[in-house]
This record gives sequence, structure tokens and C-alpha cells, in this order.
Amino acid sequence: MDPSEVEFLAEKEMVKIIPNFSLDKIYLIGGDLGPFNPGLPVDVPVWLALNLKQRQKCRIVPPEWMDVEKLEEIRELERKEDAFTAVPSPYYMELTKLLLNHASDNIPKADEIRTLVKDIWDTRIAKLRCSADSFISQQEAHAQLDNLTLMEINTIRSFLLDSLNCMYKLRSNLLPGSNKGQFTDY
Amino acid sequence: MPCERKPMRYGHSEGHTEVCFDDTGEFIVTCGSDGDVRIWKGLDDDDPKFITVGEKAYSLALKNGKLVTASSNNTVQIHTFPDGDPDGILTRFTASATHVTFNSSSSRVAAGSSDFMVKVVEVSDSSQQKTLRGHEAPVLSVTFDPKDDFLASASCDGSVVVWNIEEQTQVISWPLLQKTNDVSNAKSLCRLSWQPGLAKYLAVPVDTKVHLYKRGSWEQVSTLSDDLLTQPINVVAWSPCGQFLAAGSVGGLLTMWDVNSKLCVERQKHEKGFTVCCLAWHPSGSQIAYTDTEGCLGLLDGLSTSTSVPNTVKQAPATKPAKDYDDLFDNDDDDRLMDEGLSDTNSPVKKPAAGDDDDDDFMPVTGRVRNRGAILDDENSLDTGSLKLGQEKFGDDDDDAGSAVVPAAAPLPFRPIYEGPLPTPPQKAFQPGSTPAHLMHRFMMWNSVGIVRSYNDEQDNAIDVEFHDTAVHHAMHLTNSLGHTMADISQEAVLLACPSTDELASKLQCLHFSSWDTNKEWMVDLPRGEDAKALCLGQGWMAVATSTLMLRLFSIGGLQREIVSLPGPVVCLAGHGQQLLIVYHRATGFDGEQSLGVQLLQFGRRKKQIINGEPLPLSQKSYLSWLGFTAEGTPCYVDSDGVVRMLKRSLGKNLGNRWTPVCNTRETCKSKSDHYWVVGVHENPQQLRCIPCKGSRYPPTLPRPAVAILPFKLPLCQTATEKGQMEEQFWRSVLFYNHYSFLSSSGYEIDEDGQRQSQKEQQELLMKMFALSCKLEREFRCVELAELMTQNVVTLAIRYASRSRRLALAQRLSEIALEKANELQEEGPEEQEDEYSIVRYSQGEATGGRFINRQDQEEEEEQGQELGEEEDGDEMEETDTRKCMNPFAKAAGSPVKPSPTPIGKVGRANPFKVPDLGKPPASSGQPRVTNILDNMMSSRKSTPLGGSAGRPNKSPVLKPLAPRPKSKTQSTLLQMTGTKAVSKKTQESTEPAAEQQKPPDIRPPASTADNTENKRPKTGFQLWLEENRKSIVADHPDLEETDIIKEAMGRFRTLSAEERLTWTERAKGHTGDAAELKKRKRVEGGDVENENGQAEADENNAKKKKSLDPSSKLSAFAFNRT
Repeated sequence: MDPSEVEFLAEKEMVKIIPNFSLDKIYLIGGDLGPFNPGLPVDVPVWLALNLKQRQKCRIVPPEWMDVEKLEEIRELERKEDAFTAVPSPYYMELTKLLLNHASDNIPKADEIRTLVKDIWDTRIAKLRCSADSFISQQEAHAQLDNLTLMEINTIRSFLLDSLNCMYKLRSNLLPGSNKGQFTDY
Repeated sequence: MPCERKPMRYGHSEGHTEVCFDDTGEFIVTCGSDGDVRIWKGLDDDDPKFITVGEKAYSLALKNGKLVTASSNNTVQIHTFPDGDPDGILTRFTASATHVTFNSSSSRVAAGSSDFMVKVVEVSDSSQQKTLRGHEAPVLSVTFDPKDDFLASASCDGSVVVWNIEEQTQVISWPLLQKTNDVSNAKSLCRLSWQPGLAKYLAVPVDTKVHLYKRGSWEQVSTLSDDLLTQPINVVAWSPCGQFLAAGSVGGLLTMWDVNSKLCVERQKHEKGFTVCCLAWHPSGSQIAYTDTEGCLGLLDGLSTSTSVPNTVKQAPATKPAKDYDDLFDNDDDDRLMDEGLSDTNSPVKKPAAGDDDDDDFMPVTGRVRNRGAILDDENSLDTGSLKLGQEKFGDDDDDAGSAVVPAAAPLPFRPIYEGPLPTPPQKAFQPGSTPAHLMHRFMMWNSVGIVRSYNDEQDNAIDVEFHDTAVHHAMHLTNSLGHTMADISQEAVLLACPSTDELASKLQCLHFSSWDTNKEWMVDLPRGEDAKALCLGQGWMAVATSTLMLRLFSIGGLQREIVSLPGPVVCLAGHGQQLLIVYHRATGFDGEQSLGVQLLQFGRRKKQIINGEPLPLSQKSYLSWLGFTAEGTPCYVDSDGVVRMLKRSLGKNLGNRWTPVCNTRETCKSKSDHYWVVGVHENPQQLRCIPCKGSRYPPTLPRPAVAILPFKLPLCQTATEKGQMEEQFWRSVLFYNHYSFLSSSGYEIDEDGQRQSQKEQQELLMKMFALSCKLEREFRCVELAELMTQNVVTLAIRYASRSRRLALAQRLSEIALEKANELQEEGPEEQEDEYSIVRYSQGEATGGRFINRQDQEEEEEQGQELGEEEDGDEMEETDTRKCMNPFAKAAGSPVKPSPTPIGKVGRANPFKVPDLGKPPASSGQPRVTNILDNMMSSRKSTPLGGSAGRPNKSPVLKPLAPRPKSKTQSTLLQMTGTKAVSKKTQESTEPAAEQQKPPDIRPPASTADNTENKRPKTGFQLWLEENRKSIVADHPDLEETDIIKEAMGRFRTLSAEERLTWTERAKGHTGDAAELKKRKRVEGGDVENENGQAEADENNAKKKKSLDPSSKLSAFAFNRT
């Protein structure tokens, strides 16, 4: 899966916008949107929000979690806990990127938020690497990782699968007499 | 000694912070580690002016319009005060300066530095410097001898040194302090202070005590201490009179001694116990400003350095509401006057206590006199009354010198004590949807059209206009050179107004952007001495209320249209379409209540005053916070308790309009200090648009607040229960769809779909409530509900009631239904005029006034008839469908031969009118009889036609809703049609030719019919009729039963003789066959014969049945359809 595909999925997330035009309900395959009243917040998918934003037809209201204090809390929690903590949105990384790239003028303290989300992301990826490392080094057959987001799974999937395949090949080519202990060195 | 510790406020970022007053005491000036010098107009000033002097500011001194600061770039700089322009560098050190101070004549500045040096510099000529060398560690503090001969300094080397300035030599040095290597490590800042005026003493803080050294002899004359002082004293400061010494300690304790008595006269604790690092006396001696190492600024107010005069600066606690208002209605002179007035009334209570205090600290007279002078300088602190009081007491003290107990000051003759309810300061005029005018960045208006913001800071004085819908107009940016404070915005224009100044009159500026000509702007000056207080925009007009109780109306193009006098000072205005809503002060309110009045004017075609100065209901002790119209044009307002009220217009001529609470925004707030700031109200959909404000009443302009939508909720009882919920929904729906009737009555187009929808919704709710009450066995309540229903829904209710076997209820309901039907006919035209009669039904009002416009009704009678017919048609359809739904009930309940008789209008008549036959119909007596009434008459006439009206056996059958225990699911309605049909049947049976067979599709009575049939031989005509009846009916669908038979007779006669003969023979053949059988079977036995004959007859019957069955069913169907 491509990161862009994950991003595509994230664009289905709903976000609040404040339109500056008036439009009746619009009926789309994915569901009805609107009605759009100028000055009144309305929930629309991210793709539409970004489109309207680019045409200067709306202001985007950042999601509730996109707030420096809340993100700081999450970051602290993420750093403290060994396991993955629950993230505010399953697409937090994608949404942050999309919204900050296109509507940073509507989001207060955009730079801080960018840094914080990046911090959270880094912490989580580091954890993911660690857990992959211990997974392999302990020769576990399965592991349970909760609260991973699609993007995170996606970043490690190809590498993990390839390397596991590779190890499997190496392992299956082993002489039957040798014991396992040797191969942890690979 | 009473003194008030004001709450600390944020001054600077964390770190060493210093404070001082300017010469007049008007400003508090602070500097802090953020490198800024802030100039506060008072402790409550939320928007201090600031001057950036460096990366960090270590110390400041202010005198004579010169601000000297020691900043982190090792310099001592001068800035002008209060402008804050840099005025050069006074001197430089090789390390940062730690303390700067002015001498008493402000001609010199002394500065101590971390490079061990103290410099004394002439302010006028910075080249004239004197350097005092001798300290062996960073200098902690410096202070001038008021007589300018000496200078004292403290240093980290532990010494306190007195220098001779001219000779630049040490006069004396005391090793008093602990040695440290840096200012930051010093236990105490050891801020020395020289007594002003006499310059007799030098105060040196030494650990937890203050040593006083005498000038000249340099002997330690006394020590001031306090038991509560456990931590080192950081800073000492003399009061301007030189009698008191204040000290601030590391532990946050503020102590004040009277130097003469060496007694501690005041102790205050820092609210968080932070280290106090600077103290400054107000020039009047009534206040001390202090700062702590966390950058906070505090103030001790109401210090009476004279102590003979009770502090009057202190705000009276009893004026709490007044204080609240002060905060809300930015404190200006008027309010202050009011405050003082209030506090005066309280002062008698306090004064005796204050007097007691005085007696405890025996004051030398001289000190007092001086201090009184000082207090007289303080314009804020005294009024003449308390001054007199002071003098009186003064006299007292003189007389009873030394006596411990002085009788409390006698009641003061010059000020009567009033203990009744206190008047509320009247709420100031405001623009609904604006934030207070004193804010630098504020909303001047936020409404459903757009937002007007104003910025008023150093860089910019501007107004931003932004439209929610960019299709209306693009955003505008205006420079606010006139200083506009009020604004309104509509789809047509932006209106701005400014108060008058000394030179300029109050101005009105209108940006008429929707104008089609090229002049998009006009401006008008109000007459001198007249200030715009409130303004609003309507459709094509605008209104301004002024300080001279005037309401000026302009057209949107700038034409002056009207001028009206207001009954009281305006609070605010709101406009919508052609309506203008004015709220003004009716009278003085008491005990926190406002006394507001409201007027609602309507312009345009029908100019009238709808509300004429009624009181505006507010929640207890609250004030108006928003006023406006809903998007649909219903007046609406919000008070400071968050209760939203809406006008419930009543349609009757002389009925008042009522304000109904529709929402309490505070109920949805999470915390007590949260508020909702209302920006708009919509009735359809029901939305209360507001901005949630966390911890405040008003939203800030940045970050841009987001609008939230609150639902409405009428504060009915027990809305947790299902009943309460439905009641709330119903009345809310009634209230919120009330605007339709208003709009239609004032000639606007209305969304009829929406109206119908709303009506349907209400009726559904009523039906639900009805069902609920039924379930709860509250039949009386059911009837009450039915009275609110429309007629159609009552029929449903009747059905529901009869199904749930509440026959008494059903009967009552049917009476109601009848009444409604009658009303409907009478009201037909009126109904159309204002569809919302339900509201009136429900209120039980206007029933008396129904007939007022009879004339109109007669004019519109035609229309009404049509309407009535339509209604009835609907009714029929409904009953039809019910019949289809319920075939079994029908079969069981109506043993009726489906009469092919074209019933015509009888069939279409309202079924509910039938039961009324017993009584004389109310409407029939009236000369004006509509078509429906005619129908009713005809239905009545149809019975006498049969000639059986007088038959006694009929009347019980016709009784409405005769209980029929057999049929379980039948509806009364059907029963009624059933009984009606039965009556027809009976009437048929009285016909001479009615011996004919009953329709065979009804089994139970068929057997009896057969029996009677068997007894009588059939004629040939009868047989023929049976066969041909259908065709006759088909040919003449509109014939009565009797007519059918007549017709049939005629046809039968036209038949040829042979055919007639065959028919009679067939008829005979029946009997003949039977006779033959008898003959044949005589052998077998007479008993059997009879049976056989019967059996055969049955067989024949069966055959006939077969032939008739489908057709009769069809005809029944046809009957239903007609």
C-alpha cells in the first residue's frame, strides 16, 4: 500500500468547516452533505474541505485534538508508556499533514502542532522498530500491537514482511542438525 | 489597620521584577526579566503600555518624566516617560547594573553594578560621573541621602557602606550581611532605604530585622522586628511621609512599622508566599505596589498612613452587584460616582471599628497633620464627608488623650443613613452582538450577516468588516480615524457611529454598499451635545438612539425620516425587516434588578406600534445581554443569566404578546464561569447560534471563535419524563412555527410546505401524547388533548380510543369532533386566513370573538364551502381506507346489503354529523348554512323519505356508538356508518316490494331470510328481478331502492308475454317441482319430503348465491368507491 493511498483513505474523515457561501444539501454517493450556511460550522469530508479551502470558500475548524495542550499531553503519555497509546484520530498523521499544508492559516500555532505530531509519530515509530526488533530477536511467531494506525502499519509492513521472508528462507535452508541459537545472529 | 490586598496579577515573566509609581501616582511602572517596562494605569489595567528596554531589565527608577533602567547589556538607559522614547545611555558598566535610583531632586542617578562599582551620574550631563570604588563584590543596592550628601550601598561582600558623594570616600562601613559571590546567590537583595524628608534614618534590612541608623552619628538607633518574620527581609521602603517603613521578605510577608512607636501596624502575606523583591509607595501613601520573583504585581490598597481617617478608597463590600457591574460596564466616571455614593452609605457601619483601631496606635499629632495633607492630595481617596469625620475624631483624640476607650463616633448628622433597597446602576447602552468597547481588539458586531471587528492598538486603529456569505460583499478594511465604537451590519449597509469628542460632534457613517449609484457612503453629524448610544439597521432604514432620549430614523440612503422621543435612556436597538425593537430604561431598578421597557414598532405599509412600552422581563438580578430578531423576524432577547426569551405573538386583536423563555444557555455550560455569547437565533430550523466562551462572557477576536449551535428547550416541568418531553416538543413546535402566521398576516410569502410539515409534526405529537395518556388511563387528559387536535386527528383518536375499548372516551371525543366540524365550517374562511387556529383553540381564547367578521365570512362563503367539501372528501377517503383495512370488522359490524343506491352526498357527509341528529344541530338554526350543512340536512331527509322516521324501533339503532360487545376491533366510526346503513336497510324492508332476498354474502342473517323465503312462494317478477337487478343498477346508478323496483316493474312489463310466462312458470316450477317431488316421494314419507323440499330450496339458493356473489361484492366495492 502506498502512503498516498492511506492518505486517500484519510480524506474520508470528517472535518468541520465554516463556509462563506450558501448551498442546499448536496447528495453524494457517500452520503448527504450540508446544508451550507455562511458562518455556520458544518461537517464535511477532508477532501471537500480542502477543495473548498483552496477555492477560498471556507475556513477549516481544526479538529479538537489538534491543539497544542492536548497534543503535548498525548506526547508525554506516549513517551511514558511502553505500549502504544490510543491516538486521537486513526489518521492523525495524515490529517495533520493535509490540514497544515493547506489550511495552516486557520489553525492556531500550526508550527507547534506540526512539531508535536512529528514528535508523537517519531516516538511511535521508534517503539514500532523496537518491538519489531524484539519480535525477531525473540523468534516469536506472533505479536499483538494495539492502537497502531494504518499509516504506521504501512510504513513498517513492506520492510517487516520482506525481512521475515528473507529470514524464513535462510532458516529453511539450514541443516537439520544445527540448533536455533546460531541464527539469531543473522 | 484595615487594608485591602488586591489579587496578584501577571506582570512579567518569571524572574526579578521591580515596580515604582510615577510622580503623580497615576501609573504603576514595572520592569521585569522579559526586558519590558510596563506602564499600568492601575492594577486592573489589562492593556498596559510597554517599552522594551533590553533583553532583561534588572532595575528601574522613575522621576520627573525620566525613566532610568538597568538592563542586561550592562548599560543604564534613560527613556522619556510616559512616551517611552529612548533618551540615551546614562552610563555603562563592565557587568550588568543591579540597582538604579534617583536622588530626591532627580538630578542624579546612582547605579550599582555587578562589577563592584557604584556610579553617580548627573542626569543632565552623563559625562559628569562619580565612581565609588571599594566594594569587593557585586553591589546589591544603592540609595541616596535625601539631602544629597551621602549615598549608601549594600554589597555581596557583606558590607553596607555610606559614601560621601563629593569626596567619593567611604564614610562608614558595617559588615552586616552574609557574604556571597553574586547577586543571584544573595539571601537578600538588601534594598536600603533612606527616610525621606528629614533624612534622619537609614533603614537597612538585616536578616529578619530592620536596623535604623541615624544620619550623621551613624549609630544604630533601633531595630524593627516582628515575630512573624522568619525569613530574611529583601526590601524596605519608607512611606512618603517618612513615618512608616514597609518591608517585604523572602517568604512573601509584607510588614509595616510605625517608626516612632516601633510597632508593627500592618502585616500582609503574599497570596502565594513568593519572594517580594520590590516595594513602592504610592506618592499619597495610601497604596503599596509590590512585585515578586515570579513576575506578578500586587497592590495593597487603602493603607491609611495617617490612620486617623478611615480608608475610603476601599470598596464597600456591600456593593457587590455594583462591583460586578463595574467590571462589566467598563468602569467610567459615572459608575465610579455611583460607587462612591454606595460606599458612603455603608461607611457609618465601618467607621466605629476604624475608630477603635485608631485608638490602639497612639499617634503623635504632628504625624497626622502631615498625613492628612497627604491624603488631601489623593483625589480618589477622600470625599468631604469622611474628611470632616477625620477632623472630628482628631478632636476626640485630643480630648481623651491617653484614654484607652474612645466612644465610637456618634452617628453622623450630615449624612442620613438609608437602609432600604439600593438602586441598581442602570445598565449602559450597548450594541447586541458586540464585545465591550474598552477592549483593544473587539467585535463591534457579530450577527447573521457578518462580523465587524475593530482593532485599536499602537500600530493600527482600524475596522474590519467581513461577511459570512462572501456573495453579499467582499470583506472591507477601514481605518477608524473617527474612533467609531458602534456598528451594525445588514445585507445592504454597514453603519458606524462614534461618540462626540471635544471638537467633533457624534457622527454616523453609513457604508451603503448595496447602493446602485457610485456614492457608497454617507455621513451625518448629530447635533451638538447629542451622542449616538445605540443603532440598528433594518430593511431600507436605520435607527439611532441618542443620549438626548431621541430616536432618529433615517432611510438607508441617508434621508431623515422621522424623529421620535424615547421614554427613557436607551439600552439597545434591534431591527429586522420593517420591525424595530427598542429597549430602554423605564425606571431605576433596585437591588440589582434592571427596570427595562420595550417597544416594538413596525414600519412599512402597516405602520403600527405592536408593543407599546411594556416591561421587559429579565431573570433575577440580571441585565440584558443580547437583543434581536430571529431570522424569521420574531423578537428575541437574552439576559445575563443566559435565558433566551422569545416573543409569542398572539393573533387576536387585543391580546398581549408574551415573552416565553425558550432556552437557558447556562444549563449547557460546563463550568460556572463559562458563557455562551449569542450571535443569532433561527426558528426554522430551530437553532440558537452562539459562541462558547470559556471562562468569560465575551469571545476574544483571536483565535477566531467558532459558532456552536444550541437546541432550544422550554423550561417545562418534568422534561425527563416522556410526557414532559412530548409536551415540551409540542409547545416548542407551536411557538417556533408561530412566525408563519405572523409572516402571512404581514403579507410575506411563507413556506407552505414547512408550515404543513410543522402542523403535521404537532398533530403527530398530540396523537402520541394522546396514546400515552390512554395508556396511563388518563381519559380526561385525553379529552383535553383532543381539544388541541384538528378534526382529522380527532377521528384517529376516536379510533384509537375505541380500539383500546375506551368507549366513554370515544363518545366524548366524537362530541368534540362534531364541535370541531361545526367550528370548521364556521371558521372556514377564517381558518384560511390564519391557519394557526390550533394555537387559539389550545389557549381557549378568541372563541368569543369568532363571529366578529361574519360579513367577511359570508363574502368568502363560497370559498369556505369548497374548503369544507375538500375537508369532507379527505374524511371520506380516510374512512374508506379504514374500511379496506378492516374488512372483518365491517363484515361483522354491518350486516347490510350493500345498497346500490347512489348515496351521493349522503355518503360523503361527515360521519360525525350523524350522531347529532338527535339534537337540533347548532348550525342548522342559523341562516347561514354551508354546503356541508346541506349535506347533513339531506342525510337527515333521506330517512323521512323512507317514511320510517317515526318508527320506534329505529331510534335505538341510530343512537351513536351503541356498544357492540361482539365486534372487538370495530371502530365507532364504522359502527356509525353501519348503523346508518342499517337504518337504510330497515327502511328498505318497509318497501312493498322489499320481500326480495337479502344479499347472500351475509351468512348469519341469510338463514333466517331463507326461512321466510321458504314460506312464501316467489313470483316470476321476483325471479326476473333477481337476474336483472344488476343491469338496472348499472343503467341507473343513481336510483333509490324503491325506484329500482319501480324501474324493474316497468321493464318487466315491457317484456313479451311469452317471456313473462316463462318467468312465472319458472317461479311456479320451483313450487311445482317441489309439488312433484312431494308427489313422487309421498311413498317414501311426508317428513322427508319437507326436508327435501327445504334442501332443494337451499340448493337453489346456493346456486343463486353463486351467481350473485361476485357481483354483489363488486357492487359493494362500487358503493365504497362512490
